[in-house]
Amino acid sequence: MAHEISFIFNGNAMKMNIEDHWTLLHLIREELGYTGTKEGCGSGECGACTVIVDDKAVNSCLYLAAEIDGKQLTTIEGLAAADGTLHPIQKSFVEKGGIQCGFCSPGMILSAKALLDKTPNASEIDIKEAIAGNLCRCTGYVQIIDSIKAVSGYGEDEPHVVAFKTDEGERGE
Amino acid sequence: MRQFTYLTPKTLDEAISLHVAHGESARYVAGGTDVLVKIKEGKFAPDYLISLKHIIGQDRPFLNQETGELYIGAFCTHGSIEQSPLVQHHYPIIHDAVKNIGSVQIRNVATIGGNLVNAVPSADGAIPLIVLDSKANIYGTKGQRSVDLQRFFLGPGQCDLEAGEILTEIVIPPPLPRTGSAYIKHGRREAMELPMLGVGVLLCLEEDMTTCAKARICLGVAAPTPFRALAAEKYLKGKTVDENNLTEAGRLAGQESKVRDSIRGVAWYRREMVGVLVKRMGLKALERAKERHK
Amino acid sequence: MQNLCSVGKRVPKLDAVDKATGRVKYIQDLKVAGMLYGKILYSKYAHAKIVKINTTRARELPGVLAVLTGDDIPDIRMGVYKDNRPLKKEKVCSFRDEVAAVAATSPEIAEAALKRIEVTYEALPAIFDPEAAMKEGAPLIHEAHKTNVLKMPWKLHYGDVEAAKKEAAHTVEDRFTTTWVTHCCMGTSGAIADFDPANNLTIHTNTQIPSLAQKDFLEALKTMGISDRRVRVVKPCIGGGFGSKLDTYAYEYIAILLAFHTRRPVKIEFDRTEEFIATSTRQPTITHISQGCDQNGKLLFRDIAMILDNGAYTSWGATTPSVMMMPITTLYRVPNVRYEAKCVYTNNTYAQAMRGYGNPQATYAIESTMDMLAEAAGIDPVEFRRINANQPGDVSTQGLRITTCGLTECMHAVKEKLEWDRPRQAGEGIGMASLIHVGGGARVYKSDGCGTIIKMDDFGKIDLFTGATDMGQGSDTVIAQIVAEELGLEVDDIHVIHTDTDVCPWDVGSHASRTTFIAGNAALGAARKLKARILEMGAKLLESPLEKLNLQGRHIVHQDDAEKKMAIGKVLRKAHFSHGGQMLMAEHFYDPANENMGKDFRGNMSMTYTFGTHGVRVKVDEETGKVEILQYVAAHDVGKAINPLLLEGQVYGGVMMGVGYALTEQVISEKGQNMNPNFRDYKILTAKDVVPIKAPVLETYDEDGPFGAKGIGEPGCVPTAPAIANAIYDAVGVRIKELPITPERVLAAIREKKGLDLCGQAVDKGDADECIIEE
Repeated sequence: MAHEISFIFNGNAMKMNIEDHWTLLHLIREELGYTGTKEGCGSGECGACTVIVDDKAVNSCLYLAAEIDGKQLTTIEGLAAADGTLHPIQKSFVEKGGIQCGFCSPGMILSAKALLDKTPNASEIDIKEAIAGNLCRCTGYVQIIDSIKAVSGYGEDEPHVVAFKTDEGERGE
Repeated sequence: MRQFTYLTPKTLDEAISLHVAHGESARYVAGGTDVLVKIKEGKFAPDYLISLKHIIGQDRPFLNQETGELYIGAFCTHGSIEQSPLVQHHYPIIHDAVKNIGSVQIRNVATIGGNLVNAVPSADGAIPLIVLDSKANIYGTKGQRSVDLQRFFLGPGQCDLEAGEILTEIVIPPPLPRTGSAYIKHGRREAMELPMLGVGVLLCLEEDMTTCAKARICLGVAAPTPFRALAAEKYLKGKTVDENNLTEAGRLAGQESKVRDSIRGVAWYRREMVGVLVKRMGLKALERAKERHK
Repeated sequence: MQNLCSVGKRVPKLDAVDKATGRVKYIQDLKVAGMLYGKILYSKYAHAKIVKINTTRARELPGVLAVLTGDDIPDIRMGVYKDNRPLKKEKVCSFRDEVAAVAATSPEIAEAALKRIEVTYEALPAIFDPEAAMKEGAPLIHEAHKTNVLKMPWKLHYGDVEAAKKEAAHTVEDRFTTTWVTHCCMGTSGAIADFDPANNLTIHTNTQIPSLAQKDFLEALKTMGISDRRVRVVKPCIGGGFGSKLDTYAYEYIAILLAFHTRRPVKIEFDRTEEFIATSTRQPTITHISQGCDQNGKLLFRDIAMILDNGAYTSWGATTPSVMMMPITTLYRVPNVRYEAKCVYTNNTYAQAMRGYGNPQATYAIESTMDMLAEAAGIDPVEFRRINANQPGDVSTQGLRITTCGLTECMHAVKEKLEWDRPRQAGEGIGMASLIHVGGGARVYKSDGCGTIIKMDDFGKIDLFTGATDMGQGSDTVIAQIVAEELGLEVDDIHVIHTDTDVCPWDVGSHASRTTFIAGNAALGAARKLKARILEMGAKLLESPLEKLNLQGRHIVHQDDAEKKMAIGKVLRKAHFSHGGQMLMAEHFYDPANENMGKDFRGNMSMTYTFGTHGVRVKVDEETGKVEILQYVAAHDVGKAINPLLLEGQVYGGVMMGVGYALTEQVISEKGQNMNPNFRDYKILTAKDVVPIKAPVLETYDEDGPFGAKGIGEPGCVPTAPAIANAIYDAVGVRIKELPITPERVLAAIREKKGLDLCGQAVDKGDADECIIEE
C-alpha cells in the first residue's frame, strides 16, 4: 500500500509517496537515487547501509521507509558543505588512511558522526564501540580509528608506526 | 521484499483490534530488526505488519516510586536501556547484557520486547531479567495478565503469548539488600556476536557479607529456553561465597545444563564454560554486592 | 638518496574524497538503460545427476525474458584446468554449482522465476575429505579425469633430503591443517553484460585482471559462435579484492549468455549469502612437514608433503603450490628441500587465489616447526632464526636470487618493539614468525608485464592510463606519486585512469603484490620518456644545454641559473600551438627480467623478495582457552615506502585479516554445504577486536624497484598464524596444529597436556559418562 510521508532529507524538506514495504535503504538508493548508502548484507550485520535518523545511527536495510515520516534523515551525501568542503570527519578519513576500497566508508563515517555529535570527546573505546557494527575488510580498522580519534577532542595517541632504519635516518610520523 | 501493509496504531487496544481483524495474515513488529530479516528470508510472510512503535508509552525505563519496582516498557530500545542511569546504577547486570547486543545501529532500533518474544535460545536479553526475578506484563483481548518471565519461554521460538497478545512491559523487583549480580556473553569476537553461551548470576548475601542467602543462576543457549541452574543455586545457599564453592556451583550448573552441539559451539565446551563463567560471574556478583553495601 | 618531493610522502588516496562523499560507483550503483536482472539457481546436492530440468513455469512468468540451463548453452570452459562450465550439464559436483539462470525485468521477478524451475536430481555418492578422495574406489568427481588427483605434478627435490635426515642432530616432524576462509569483500560480486547489434560485448565487472578477463570472454564468445568481435571490460570501483577477482566466474559468463539471448543488457549482482556460497575460498591444506638441523642450529633439510582440497573445480587455488615453493625452499637458508603437493577433487567448494596465495598455509607449518626445532636443539627461537636467516646475495636452492634482504633487521625490530625479553606473567607468551614473499613481480604467465600511457595537456597536467587495477589498495596514488616525482609535478596533477580496456594498456593483473613494483616501473619508464622530450623542447626554448635542465615545481629549471625557468604547461602550449607542432605522449611496457619456473621448478620468479617478521604477545585464558593479543609487531623490509600512509594500511589490514585467519575465521562446511554464509557466523574481526599493532618499516632500497620499492600487498597476513601459535605455545605449552586456533582447540590441548579429558577429569579415573555430549 502506498502513502505519503514528509521528512527532512539532508537538510531539505521532502514529501513523497512510498510503499509500505520499502526499506529506508530502498527509498534512498532506488527512489531518491542517492547511491552513497551501500548494501553490504541486507541483514544488519555489516553496517554499510548506516544512515542517521534524527540523531541516531541506524541500519537503513532494516528500517522501514514509512518510519522516516516526520524525521530527519542524513546520508553521506548530506555531510559535505554546499561548496564541497568536506565535513571534518570526512577530511580526517581522507587524510589518515581511513579509506581503502571505500565500500564501508559512508556507513563508517556516519557512525562516527552520530558518535561525535553526541560525544565530542569520544575516547578510543567509545569509537570502537560506535563502529563495531561497521565491518571493514581492508583497513584492519586501525587507520579508521585514527581518523575518528583525530577529530574527537580526546587527543591522539602515539603513532603506531615507527621507522627503524633508513638512509635518511629515523622517520616517524 | 514482500509487499505488506504497515499499520501504525497509537494505542494497545487499537493494535489488538487490528490483529483480531487481520488474524493470521498480521504480525506485530516493533524495532523490526528481526522481523524484517525474516520477511526478507521468506520465513515470515505477513500481509499486515502492525507496528507497536507508535503506541504511546514509556520509551525508557522508569522507577515505580511506590513499589520500588523498575518498569521497562517492551518497546524500549536496547540503546535506551543501556543509557538509562537507573539501569546502570541499580541493575548493572541488565547493562552487562544490553550493551553487547548487536551493534549501536541495532540497539538504536531493536527493542527488549522484540528480543524476548523471539524466544530464540541465543537472545540474551532475557537472562539478566530472569536472574532478577522479573515479571512480564501481557495485554490482550482478555485484558492484562502477568507471568514470571522465566515461565514466559516455552521452547525455541515459542513464548507464552496467545494470538494477538502483546508483551507490554517487564517489571523488575526492587534491588535486594546485600545483593550483586552479573552477566557475561561468551562469544568468539568482541562485538556483533550471538552468544555461544550466556551466564547470569545473582547473589544475595547474609549480613555477614560472606554467606549466600540466595542465589539465582540463569543460563542462555544452555538449553532450548533460558535455563535456571537450580542445583547450583541450592548448593550455594547457606555456603560461604568463595572461589571453591563457586567452582562447585559452576560444575553443578554445567552438569544440569542441557547444552548441545551447533555451528556456534560444541556441547562439551559449552558445559565447561558454564562452570568457568558461573564461577566468574559469581565472583563479580560478590564484588558488586560488597561495593553496593559500602 | 635524492631529495624527494612526492615519493615517500603520506599522500592521501586519490579517490578518497570521492569515496568519503559517496560519489564513487560500484557495480551495485550502476544501471544501464533497458537493463534486465539475472539470477542463478544453485544445486541442491553436493553430487548428483541432473535428470531433468523443467523451466516451463519459469518461462511463463510475465517479465521473464530468458531461462537458460546447461543444455541451452555452448560448451564454454572456465578456469585454469578448463574443468568448469557456467551452467552445469548432466551432473552437479558441489552445492555452489550453477544449474539454471533467469533474466527478468526486475530482481524480484527473476527470483520468483527461480522458484518455478523444477530440477530432478539423482543423488550420487559424494566425498568431502581429500585424503579419502585419493583412495582407490572413491567416487570420482569428474569421471573423464579418471582420478580425483589433479594432474599437476607439484614436486621438487633439491639436494639430498634423505642423506641430510641421517646427518641431522635434531629433527622435528608434524602435521598441520588449515581450513576454508573467504575474502569477505564488503562490495559483493557483480557484472553487467551488454552486446551491441554487431555482437561486440561491453562488460562492466569487478575484476583484478581486466586484460586476461577480456581474453577469457573473447574465447567464450568464440565458443558461442561469435568471432572477430571486440570485448570491452569496464571496471567499476571495486569494493575489495584480496585475490577474489583473479579469475573469471560463472556469473560473468551467465550474464553474457543471458544478454546474448535477450539482446538486452543483463546485470547479475550477488547478495551476501551468494557471495559467501558462490565465490571461492582460500584452499584448505594438510601439511606433513619435517625439518632438521645440525648441532649448531643450521638447518639441514625441509621435507614437506601436502594435500590441497581443490573442491569440485579448478581455479587458481590449485596453482598455489607454485608460490608455496618460495617459503618452502627459501624462507631461511635450507640446503636440502623436498616438496610434493597433490590437489584433490572433492565435492566441496572450489578454492581460488587469496592474499598470500598459499604462503600463509605453508608458512604456518614452516614457522611452527621452526620453533619446535629450536626447542629440540635447545636454541632460543630468535637466535635459531638469526642463524638461518637469508642474506643479501644468497641464491636459494630453487634459484631465487635474494637482492636486498632485511630479514635479520626485521627480527631485531620485533624483538625490540615487542620487548621480547620482558618478564612474562602466567598465561602470557611471545612468539615470532617471518616471511618471504615476491616483492618484484611474479612470473606466473609468459609475461609479467604492465603497460602505461601518459599524455600531457596544455596546462601541464597528466592523464595516465595504466593496466593496473586499484581495488582499494591505492596503486593509483602510488603510480601518481612516482610520475609526479619524475616529472617535477604535484600528485594532484596526475589523473590515473585504470578502468577501461578500451583506453588502458595491457597488464597481467593485480596479483602477487606486484603492482607498485611492476606498474610503478611501467609508469616510471613512461614518465622518463616524456621527461626526455620535455627537456629536449625546453633546451631549445631556454637556449640551454640539456644536461643543465631539470623538472621541478611544475617548471623546467636550469640548475645554475634561476632566471632560466619555464612552466611545463607553457612548454606544452608551445608544442601544440605551433607549425609542425607535436603532442606529448609516451608509453612504456615494463616486463621484468624475472624467470618462469623451469621443469624442476627452478627459476627466479621475482626480481626481488619482500621479507618481514611478525611478533606477538598473547595472554591465554587457561580456563576458557581464549587467546588475547596484547601486542603485535609487524616489521617489513619494503625496499622503499613510496607512500607510508597507504603502506601501513596494507600492513594493518593484512595483519587483521591474518589474525582472523589464525583465530576466528572459517567457512563451516558440513557435507559440502556452507553452514555460515553470513557475517553473524563467519567471524571477520570487528573494530572492538583490533589488536595494538606496531608496524616498523625497513627501507633497503632495492635497485630494481621504482625508487627502491618492493611489493607489500600480501605480506601482512602471511606469518600471522604461526606467530600467534608460537606465542600460545610459549604461554601455555600447547601447540595448535589446526586453524583456526579456537578456544575449544586451545582448551582441549591444555587439558590433554595435563592428562585430563575434555571435561577436566583425569583420563583414567574419571567417570566416562561425565563427558557424554547430549544432543
